[in-house]
Amino acid sequence: MKRSRLAFSILAVGLGLPAVGFAAPFQCPSRGGDIVFGQEANVNSLDQMTSTTISTRNIAMNMYESLMTRSEDNQPILELAESMEESGDGLTYTFRLRQGITFHNGKPMTSADVAASFNRYNRIGIQRSTLDNVAGWDTPDPRTFVIRMKQVQPTFIEALSSFSVPIVVIPSEHENDERQQLRPVGTGPFRLLEFVPGSHARLGRFDGYQPNTAFEQRTGFGGYRVACVDTVTFRIVTEASARVAGLETGELQAVEDVPTRSLDTLRRNSAITILPLQNWWIQIALPNTSIPPTNNLAFRRAVQAALGMEDIMDAATDGNYRLNVGFQFPGRPSYTDAGKETYNINDQARARALLRESGYRNEPIVLLTNRDYPPMYNAALVMQQQLRAVGINANLRVVDWPTSVQMSQRVNSDEWHFFHTGWGTQPALGALATMQFLVSPNAAYRPRDDRDDPEVLALWNAMNNERTAEARQAAFANMQRMVLERAYALPFGSLTKVQAVRSNVQGFVPFRIPRFSNVWVQR
Amino acid sequence: MVGVAFRRLLSAIPVLLIVSLITFGLMRLIPGDPAAAIAGVSATPAQIEQLRRDLGLDQPLHLQLLDYYRGLARGDLGRSLLLGKGVFAATMERLPVTIGLSLFALAFTLLIGIASGIVAALRQNSWVDQAAMMFAMIGISVPNFFLGLLMIILFAVHLGWLPSGGYVPFGEDPVGWLRSMTMPAFSLALLQAGLLARITRSSMLEVLRQDYIRTAKAKGLPHRKVVLKHALSNALIPIVTVVGIIVSLLLSGAVVTEALFSIPGMGQLLTQAVLSRDYPMVQGGLLLVTTFLVMVNITVDTLYAVLDPRVRYE
Repeated sequence: MKRSRLAFSILAVGLGLPAVGFAAPFQCPSRGGDIVFGQEANVNSLDQMTSTTISTRNIAMNMYESLMTRSEDNQPILELAESMEESGDGLTYTFRLRQGITFHNGKPMTSADVAASFNRYNRIGIQRSTLDNVAGWDTPDPRTFVIRMKQVQPTFIEALSSFSVPIVVIPSEHENDERQQLRPVGTGPFRLLEFVPGSHARLGRFDGYQPNTAFEQRTGFGGYRVACVDTVTFRIVTEASARVAGLETGELQAVEDVPTRSLDTLRRNSAITILPLQNWWIQIALPNTSIPPTNNLAFRRAVQAALGMEDIMDAATDGNYRLNVGFQFPGRPSYTDAGKETYNINDQARARALLRESGYRNEPIVLLTNRDYPPMYNAALVMQQQLRAVGINANLRVVDWPTSVQMSQRVNSDEWHFFHTGWGTQPALGALATMQFLVSPNAAYRPRDDRDDPEVLALWNAMNNERTAEARQAAFANMQRMVLERAYALPFGSLTKVQAVRSNVQGFVPFRIPRFSNVWVQR
Repeated sequence: MVGVAFRRLLSAIPVLLIVSLITFGLMRLIPGDPAAAIAGVSATPAQIEQLRRDLGLDQPLHLQLLDYYRGLARGDLGRSLLLGKGVFAATMERLPVTIGLSLFALAFTLLIGIASGIVAALRQNSWVDQAAMMFAMIGISVPNFFLGLLMIILFAVHLGWLPSGGYVPFGEDPVGWLRSMTMPAFSLALLQAGLLARITRSSMLEVLRQDYIRTAKAKGLPHRKVVLKHALSNALIPIVTVVGIIVSLLLSGAVVTEALFSIPGMGQLLTQAVLSRDYPMVQGGLLLVTTFLVMVNITVDTLYAVLDPRVRYE
């Protein structure tokens, strides 16, 4: 079997990122102590295979691990595998598992456990379409796991390493656990001590944890991870003021989603460190192209020309934002500003000219939004005013989040023209995960009868099937440009989520989940 | 008295049936996709569709209703879509927390409401009466959410006497439970205490003007005995009626209080279930809460029979 270039590049990233030079692996400056994290959203289950929610991931990703995951800059890296080889024909991936890995129950991990995890994921995993192109998997020996593909899929490793709904490795005896009933036993640096839904989940350091010695530091969801503290408690504190109060009193050592109104007070408190997490999500509005007048390109371009993103983002985020062209976060390898000429135009004269061209006759335009996520509501409010300023009869339709999603997904719906939402996890995962939102069955611009724009679809296929990463990136840039030029999506900018810790909590770096490995409490 | 309780129990059956039908119908009438709510904001439409199929939400309505009543007949309230566990088990985890909070709040309500009502009635039109009624008015006017926030700032942030939130089970640490529940219970109780104080005052004033009280005083009975034995026991009848209603109000008021103080009770569970369109959880949870409230009201009705012999004779 010949190791492919793709495999080398993954390993190079995996081994090379933190390992360059002769730096020693991370060591806890101090051990012990307890951290209580104030989490904003309820967590209903810790079954990482059957949950897409961020609140589950926050906790579960400190407990579970996968064959592969993502690094700090979103590259696929090895986690429970020490090597991965892709066959010359691209139809087989062979993973060699790391030695000495044990589950939280003390059982050594083997390829049989990996196979059982894939079996369960294939049965009930929410993202089990990841395995649609997989013919099967084999376990030739306890340290080797082989995935056989039906067809060549150059993006398979990107999908396999996704942290959206990862294929976490569980003991084989848990293979038949039902949906949301997975017994919480993983291989991660923390093990579950107690879970009281609606109240808290308490994790304890797993003393049998084997750090991944291919790295020397934590990176992304993986790397060289060490649990320095004794326990981490994720306490559900849904009320923002209560989270801030808990941080001030020291009952909470770290919190997420600090409201802007509290920032000044907290900044004056030397016992507290504010940690902005930039690029949390992309604020976006999506047109319904199955009905008039949003099925008219000139009209959609008129809307695009009317929008001023600073005002929209300022209102949506209380000032915590960055302007951002397109569908990837700035600074990420896949970022491109292709189509930037369509962004933040804020030109009323041009908008009016395009409106005339479109033949718009003052029909009511419905902006579908919700109050469950205030940034979405606030963005819609400002958009409404900006559209009215150029003569578009824009009206808000405010419902709750589940209703707005339901309405937005109806084929050929005539109930709305623009749907307000936010894309967070997918842009963080990369271009492929994000652009799936623009093709069926996910096509968020709701084409008539769900029939994709064939040119957009062609670029999507190129993003998936081109053999080289460069060619796939070029296809992505073209797709982004086309989507923006055809105004199939109106991205406003990136929202910053503010986190905060007590100043004696060291090593905490904001990321897509609150990571508590390599975090210690200064004595 | 047994007859009173039995009659009330029988009349509870249609109440529960109607509640179960209404909650089933209302939940289906509310727009919104349970799968979208459960999947969260980061899910793709394909993931939501997958979840919808996994949860069996594509079944026709009449089949869902039939399944629901078949389950009820077997004593099975169904399985929460959100939690993936039995509704009865999920409710039994949370209901005791809310009942504990409500009973603690009820203790505050009774203590503050009855005591201040009696004192105000005995010192009618004095400054004590004015102060007690002003306190009652404040209690009625201030939203418990706002009061809770003020208490957190004062007692947790500034004074550091009590925790700002969280829950400690009574069985694990009674003192910790008391500390964690004092602010929530007080903020929840104040509104009801204000109401109760006003009702107690007017009820006591009415009784204190009765002839038999004047007779008792004329006979030379000690003031304390006249007030506590003769006046209060008769004034209690309307108060007991209100207490039944107060328990219902405390249970429903717990929704906001639980969210503010991060208490994993029934209020939070049901709120989340409604927002997520977790049909089985809302249906089953409300049915169990209704059963509890019906039992409270049966107890109150039975207490009438203890307090007022006329009820027994009827």
